Amino acid sequence: MSSAPVGKRSAANGPDMRRIIYRETHSPRAAVATVAAVLVMVLAAYGLLEAGVHAIGQPAWLIEPQVAAERMAALPSGISPVLLGVIGAVLAMAGLFFVLNAVLPGRRARHLLNGQYGGQASGAGPGTEDLPAGPGNGPSVVVDDEVIASALARSARLAANVTPEQVMVVVSQRQVIVNVRPTSGVPVDETSVLAAVQEELDEMALIPAPQVRINVSTSGVIGA
Amino acid sequence: MNSTPTLLNRILIGILGVKLLAVGLLLMLLATVPAVATWWHSWAGSVWRGINQAFNDTRFPGRPESWLWIVIAVALLVLIGLMVAWIAQQGKGRSNLLVVEYDPGSVDGDVRIGGGVAEQALKHALGERPDLAGATVVTYDVHGRPAVKVKLQPRQGVAPHLLAAEVAALVTALDTVLGKRTPVLIHIGAGARTRFSRAERVR
Repeated sequence: MSSAPVGKRSAANGPDMRRIIYRETHSPRAAVATVAAVLVMVLAAYGLLEAGVHAIGQPAWLIEPQVAAERMAALPSGISPVLLGVIGAVLAMAGLFFVLNAVLPGRRARHLLNGQYGGQASGAGPGTEDLPAGPGNGPSVVVDDEVIASALARSARLAANVTPEQVMVVVSQRQVIVNVRPTSGVPVDETSVLAAVQEELDEMALIPAPQVRINVSTSGVIGA
Repeated sequence: MNSTPTLLNRILIGILGVKLLAVGLLLMLLATVPAVATWWHSWAGSVWRGINQAFNDTRFPGRPESWLWIVIAVALLVLIGLMVAWIAQQGKGRSNLLVVEYDPGSVDGDVRIGGGVAEQALKHALGERPDLAGATVVTYDVHGRPAVKVKLQPRQGVAPHLLAAEVAALVTALDTVLGKRTPVLIHIGAGARTRFSRAERVR
């Protein structure tokens, strides 16, 4: 099966890893593609049925193609304009969904860790040179934003000395927002929380590096 | 890192989307703007006459049906087949072999190491960690080169960089055992298993 020439390309490791990382941090659109393919298949199957029925001279299943075409050519008449407009709007919305899926970059909620794992730098960050394949060239690490958020929430919770329910962290591509609801009567030191979260983030060395913002809410939680 | 055809996906989804968008906008304009309706009547009428003519010209001798229907049916069959092929391309790219190399030693021949070696070894090493809710190891074929993807599902609150460093050490050990460096991607992800499981308390 895979008797491909493995040894030939072993020197070209850098670009290979960069491609792998790009594919991991961007959506392959497999689900949308499957939906689109199934949609086309259903429409084509109906058309096939009517065409086949017509070819052997049988009466049509749902509607005679000739009648359908004539109605379509006469369109604004024969159907209420509201219904026509709604059908059009639904089709346009579906089309817009597919177009946006195709055109937008489709970045996934993931970050690349730029730490040094198993030796030298880990592949394809901006500024990292193409390292030759060697024993010191460690694996690349991609992390879901959700995992980053839960790790940051843990360090923020320890710094603020509150329960897990009182901390909520939102991680996006370039921003980390930490929301802390202090226990009523116990003030939360914003700078120490910021320092703890920032230190944890610096250790992770994310690409792209997000900015941290701490929101300490003015109302406290009673009995936490 | 599988070989899903991402560019093809984008192009085909884009074509379908533009068509649906155009049809939808046309219907909306037909319902609201009378000037579009008159243009549509003249344009669609001429097209319909042309199609009718084509069907009339292509009748079977002595029968009312046109063989154009068979052509349409075959074309639709081909379209369905292409769509099935497109779906089959999604998520492909698993590989069975981790190392395929000519052995220059005293005995002639190739050395082949199955992907199961890496998968079993790493899975076993990761299986007993208390901070992981799950781990999967898969070998992929990336442009003829084998690559390993390690997907980890840590429990809530586990620091990803520490976990990555420890797993990277395991991967390095595996490379030493195999005697050959394999490109490895570690994906630390979240899923239903991590969301609803208890948080990791020690560490």
